[in-house]
Amino acid sequence: MERDAGALRPAVKASDGLDGDSAKDQVEARVVETARFVTLRINRGEANDVSGRWEDYEVPLEPGMVVLDAVLHVQAHSANDLAVRWNCKAAKCGSCSAEVGGMPKLMCKTRLEEFDCSKPILVQPLQTFPRIRDLVTDVSWNYRVNRKITPFRPRTDREWRFYQRDVDRSQEMRKCIECFLCQDVCHVIRYQTQEKPQYFGPRFYVRALGLDAHPMDSANRLRLLQVEGGIGLCNVTKCCTEVCPAGIQITDNAIIPAKERIVDAYQDPLRRLFRKVTGTT
Amino acid sequence: MIKHDIVVVGGGLAGMRAAVEAAEGGADVAVVSKMHPVRSHSGAAQGGINAALGNREDDSTENHAFDCVKGSDYLGDQDAIEAMAEDAPRQIVWLEHRGCIFSRMPDGRIAQRPFGGAGSARTCYSADVTGLVILHTLWEQLERFGVKVYEEYFATALCVEDGMGAGVVAYNMRSGELELVSAKATIFATGGLGRVYAKTTNSYASTADGMAIAYRAGIPLMDMEFVQFHPTSLKENGVLLSEAARGEGAYLLNKDGERFMFKYAPNKGELASRDVVSRAEWTEILEGRGVDGCVFLDLRHLGREKILERLPQIRELALDATGKDAIDTPIPILPGMHYAMGGIETDKFGATRIPGVYAAGECACVSVHGANRLGGNSLLETIVFGARSARHAIAYIKGLGDVRVSERTLKSEQDRIDGILARSGGERHPAVRKRMNNVLSDNVFIFRDDAGLKKAVEGLREVREAAKSMTVMDKSKTFNTDLTGFLETEFLIDIAQCIAAGALARTESRGAQARTDFPERDDEKWLVHSLFHNTGADPRLDFTRKVTFTKWQPTVRTY
Repeated sequence: MERDAGALRPAVKASDGLDGDSAKDQVEARVVETARFVTLRINRGEANDVSGRWEDYEVPLEPGMVVLDAVLHVQAHSANDLAVRWNCKAAKCGSCSAEVGGMPKLMCKTRLEEFDCSKPILVQPLQTFPRIRDLVTDVSWNYRVNRKITPFRPRTDREWRFYQRDVDRSQEMRKCIECFLCQDVCHVIRYQTQEKPQYFGPRFYVRALGLDAHPMDSANRLRLLQVEGGIGLCNVTKCCTEVCPAGIQITDNAIIPAKERIVDAYQDPLRRLFRKVTGTT
Repeated sequence: MIKHDIVVVGGGLAGMRAAVEAAEGGADVAVVSKMHPVRSHSGAAQGGINAALGNREDDSTENHAFDCVKGSDYLGDQDAIEAMAEDAPRQIVWLEHRGCIFSRMPDGRIAQRPFGGAGSARTCYSADVTGLVILHTLWEQLERFGVKVYEEYFATALCVEDGMGAGVVAYNMRSGELELVSAKATIFATGGLGRVYAKTTNSYASTADGMAIAYRAGIPLMDMEFVQFHPTSLKENGVLLSEAARGEGAYLLNKDGERFMFKYAPNKGELASRDVVSRAEWTEILEGRGVDGCVFLDLRHLGREKILERLPQIRELALDATGKDAIDTPIPILPGMHYAMGGIETDKFGATRIPGVYAAGECACVSVHGANRLGGNSLLETIVFGARSARHAIAYIKGLGDVRVSERTLKSEQDRIDGILARSGGERHPAVRKRMNNVLSDNVFIFRDDAGLKKAVEGLREVREAAKSMTVMDKSKTFNTDLTGFLETEFLIDIAQCIAAGALARTESRGAQARTDFPERDDEKWLVHSLFHNTGADPRLDFTRKVTFTKWQPTVRTY
């Protein structure tokens, strides 16, 4: 969405860190003056720059404007070299994931009005994954995890006839757009700075459960989730559910049922004994 | 240098369907895409995919084909349409058996909903996220076969050696280097051209890359003047609300609360084909029966439960953009640029005039949509023709020796990009793009006439001139979207000129081309496709390709 270039005013001097008091004061003074501008404080940097540098940009505020509109305005007018991913602007492609005001968000779905526009709005890349440049991160770790999950394996012993109630759960899981906000917020992944843990993360529990819930699927992914997937490490804080832009009940409908089934299948003493006697897994 | 037997450019539905078909057929295939495949715009498709399964009402592939022919206003090639309709049920089964989970009928079969312009309910769906579900299904298959994906590689040119397609040159957005991707067969599946207009339902990546690349390499584009305006896009951000809403029974209302569609389409009402509904809405708005340039989509009578079960995303999108809840408020909507019926000219197997070069999906013009596409047929086209083009490509490369590998296109592209980065002082490219957008949106919209179209052609000549000196500010190597945006703008200008020139030349009204100065369809003169050849300036048009007829002769088209 192109905005009126003539209304653009010079950017506030770049300030370091989160508490650029003088810059903040300047902005507040100006807001009183016009009340039509908002300051975007964007964290920028080159590849693998963990802390980056904070730069302030002023953007003319319009009703209904989302963070992505503002970032693209900055890119079009004040920082042509600002790197960012975006595509569909309708919360469907999962490209524009970032942390806005400290929360993982899709920039295209986050309205500026959600924030106090008299103060700078902080925009930084996903913190859990290495930076490529500015707001663009390398999320390929997730694609490597993805490959470990057994794909759909259709049954051959029955007709392809099943009911809506059988597919509801699977369809809920298939709403995922792979924006990786849940992976970003998950503390099990987030605070492992070097090697990522033996852990798949919420997105891939959702994928595995979506496949498992398909009435025609014949694979068993529980052992995988337990051993290689490290689902036991999840301590159900529900942060992933909270940030999911597709509204998937990740914790209640994917992770907890999986944990319960794993306990039933592998930790029940009677079943253990049965497996031992029969030699099954 | 990268080398494969088959390279697919584009990672949306058509591209991934082609790649999976090639991989299943044992070919060495790779995908080159300017974004990760699941980011593709195909994932935004909500409504569904057509196939005459006959699960809900009696249906046949012949009925499906006839609806397409009528929807196309008799400009679609009937042999290709029949092939698509016949293949559709097989492709649905193919998808279902790979885990694509369709919504169900009470008896356990795949559910089908009515869509615009269709004689019976034949649109299969997965709630209202059909495109996304198919996209992830194909992505899983791509991964299962270990297909190599060159992700964030921006294709810039087609290599042609000895008159045969030989791969593409692509700009690696991570490293900033140009690379040669050599292949015996190249399949373009780069999607639409929506960004040529100021407002569109299309994603930012829909910049006609494949169309422009093929056009520059000497492959004609076809039927470019036929641009579909979707009847229900949100005023605020241009985002699309699926036809599924009207399929489930939603009303269109004007400012007086009147269901105006029955004035324009006495039988089908809201479920007439898209060109008819968009023109009706625009007429209501022009004649003063809109509110703030909009009419309303009313879901209220469907009830909370049905809206939440069948149309949750539509409610969500409207809520995000307008803050209004469709459960108790009509949503202001207007027609928005949505789809290109035209594209790279192909035969019914997806083959172009250059051996070894194919196109599938929105970037191609087979032509199955003719002058107007029916809802639910775009996903179908990507799946059917993605697979067909790959099968044809596999047959083509069998027995073909190595194609010549030459770096000359790589070198000329390197010189071109270096030249762009070395420029300074001219206009920045977003400003030029915006002018192009406005020329097209102002003059080549739903209703067209001679004066406006001449203005468009002239305006676009100026835009092309200005583009010769436009500049890129970011000279860096890593993730330089200033540069890729520049290249996209150049592509779009080629395409904009074709759209305007075609609309001016075609002195009739057919499907999505509505000329106020030529309000009638002219079957004597215009049962021909428009072909556009690149000259480096204005396109050269020819009308030598006649429409293919099999069973259905043109009759008056009413809904």
